[in-house]
Amino acid sequence: MIASLRRGMLAATLAIAAPAMAQAQTVLNFWDMIWGPPEYIETAKKLVDRFNAEQSVIKVQYRSVPWANWYQTYVTAIGAGTAPDLSTGAGYQPVQLYEQGAIKPIDDLIAEMKASGELDDFQPGTVERLRFDGHYVSLPWAIDIRVWLYRKDQLAAANIAPPTTWTELRSAAKALTAGDRYGLAASGDTGGSHYIYSLMINNGGGLFDDKRTLTTQSPRNREAMDFFAAIVKDGAVSPASAGYDSASRRRAFHLGQAAFILDGPGLPDAAPPETRANIGILPPLAGPHGDKGTIAWTNSIMVYQQTKHYAETKTFLTWWSRNQKPLWTEGHAGPMPARKSFAADPYFKDSALRSFIIANYLPVGKTTGANAAGIFPVLNAIEGDGVVQSLTQEILQGKDVGPALAKAETKLKEIVQ
Amino acid sequence: MRPRLDLLPLAFLLPSILLIGLVILWPLITGFDYSLHAGTMLKQGRFLGAGNYTTLLGNEDFWHALRFSVIFAITNVAGCYLLGLGIALLMNADIPGRPFFRVAFLLPWIIPSIVSVVSWRWMIADAHAPVNLLLKLVGINPIYFLSSDIWAQVVVFAVKIWRSFPFMMLSLLAGLQGIDKTLYEATAIDGATRWQAFIYVTMPQLKNVSIVLCILMTIWTINDFETPFLITGGGPSYATENLILMAFRYVFQRNNVGIGSAVSFVTFLILTALAIALLRLQRDRG
Repeated sequence: MIASLRRGMLAATLAIAAPAMAQAQTVLNFWDMIWGPPEYIETAKKLVDRFNAEQSVIKVQYRSVPWANWYQTYVTAIGAGTAPDLSTGAGYQPVQLYEQGAIKPIDDLIAEMKASGELDDFQPGTVERLRFDGHYVSLPWAIDIRVWLYRKDQLAAANIAPPTTWTELRSAAKALTAGDRYGLAASGDTGGSHYIYSLMINNGGGLFDDKRTLTTQSPRNREAMDFFAAIVKDGAVSPASAGYDSASRRRAFHLGQAAFILDGPGLPDAAPPETRANIGILPPLAGPHGDKGTIAWTNSIMVYQQTKHYAETKTFLTWWSRNQKPLWTEGHAGPMPARKSFAADPYFKDSALRSFIIANYLPVGKTTGANAAGIFPVLNAIEGDGVVQSLTQEILQGKDVGPALAKAETKLKEIVQ
Repeated sequence: MRPRLDLLPLAFLLPSILLIGLVILWPLITGFDYSLHAGTMLKQGRFLGAGNYTTLLGNEDFWHALRFSVIFAITNVAGCYLLGLGIALLMNADIPGRPFFRVAFLLPWIIPSIVSVVSWRWMIADAHAPVNLLLKLVGINPIYFLSSDIWAQVVVFAVKIWRSFPFMMLSLLAGLQGIDKTLYEATAIDGATRWQAFIYVTMPQLKNVSIVLCILMTIWTINDFETPFLITGGGPSYATENLILMAFRYVFQRNNVGIGSAVSFVTFLILTALAIALLRLQRDRG
């Protein structure tokens, strides 16, 4: 009887106390873009669950955000006052939203990490790249980069060595073109525009100079475009390419309809198993002046001005940054990790492809803003608007480079102004 | 004695007026206000007056998008009207399997746009696509439909006509079935041919419904976002960018809400003018 009474009192006490305990817990909303195959989302959820289980002060709610219309998703949420506390996002999202007053700088967190030496764990330049207007607008977590991949079977069958220079790439692409097979897989969408950015950077050019002034028609950029146009004029690119999207481009490569492709590090993992073993990686190609380089984006985590719990958000952000290695080892995230300690994991060290990218491509990766230091808001509009995409389409259509580049420059000037 | 104002009907209308004000008038005013300012969706910039509109008039993209929108609308209205009318006349006749064909011809309208457009893309994507394989069978070289400015426009027009004609067909069929049969009997007695009956009885009887359908189809075509967006994304090289895609590009991709809103407002004015003109035409001839 007494025992039953005690149990009843305990239950009643818990029933009264539970809501109060729940109220004491700070709830954070974390929005995460989809950075890999389906297992990525599951891994990220598990990681959030782990954080929630390890402590009782903060409860993080995870939401996976698709890339389609990502900008509208965030702008609408911010406009409606329902922005998350923190999120991952597109390469230039933090700086663009910061300029509009929506992002809270994390200078204090960076200062703490610097004082403790933790900042040294990040790949060189990644943290500074996210400094804008004197503030650190977000914390890097990954680096997305474009690398040259090739079909081992096709090169072996034609007895062609993997190219190391532009000249070799062009002659190999031409030699491997026959019938319905083409040397180079390309597309007229955003993924296709990465060829333009990458080739410009590869040739020591870029859309901007160090003072953020447009240099679209610089001799190095023109030379890079002429090179791309020459491959098209060789007939080494499918005439359908201007209308291809990235899925079509990748499909052509996976089906063996093209020998070379410029794509992300995650492409081989997403390839059909029978194709995966046939995919090799080229070294960063040397341009006609010996320059090497490619397009890269520092993916980061940003904190929103609308958060009411900055201290708790910072706690979670720090934890997430230190503990997110499973996003690669279990979730197979596409981009490379920003932390050196993660890159030292056997998952990367034991993979010839991943370790090669980290050792050879990451050091030569530059942003869309090359050759300016750091990122700045207009880069998001430039990538989003499709000016370079349209330039890509015109080159793939076989149009003259000069007028196409001049048209692109006019549009880029409009955007920058 | 002055007539007493009866407020009761107004009171009944009030919820509707408020709802219309909220969902139509307020966004319209807000959009117009955006078009008068610089800035982004999150941070409105300084007042520019007609600055965005004058910028627009000097913008080559705008004139291209306007030209494409007009051609798109004319092609689609003409194409789907002729196709819809032809099939409606067939469906109105006593042909075998008529119920089956009536349902079959509605399919393009019923299928979700994303499904139909992706299927179209797949059918014309490259040299290995089904349409090119068929062309190969009859000895025609592959056509890279999505890589050429002209062919991409043709594809956008064709897919839009394919998606739109069932509505035209259904409405015209309803119109045809509403025509008094005695009119045809009278023309037959007068010795009119079938063509004369079509010109002097059918078409005049379909005039009102045709005007309404053409107005609606023009508005829907100029406002069409999904067809060009899903097939070509406005490319290649902006060849298939209409006014709505341009507004989208400026607001959400270029982050210039002022110009984007100006494009939308100009589109709204064009459509309003068109609707008023056609409705007056209908009234004057009615």
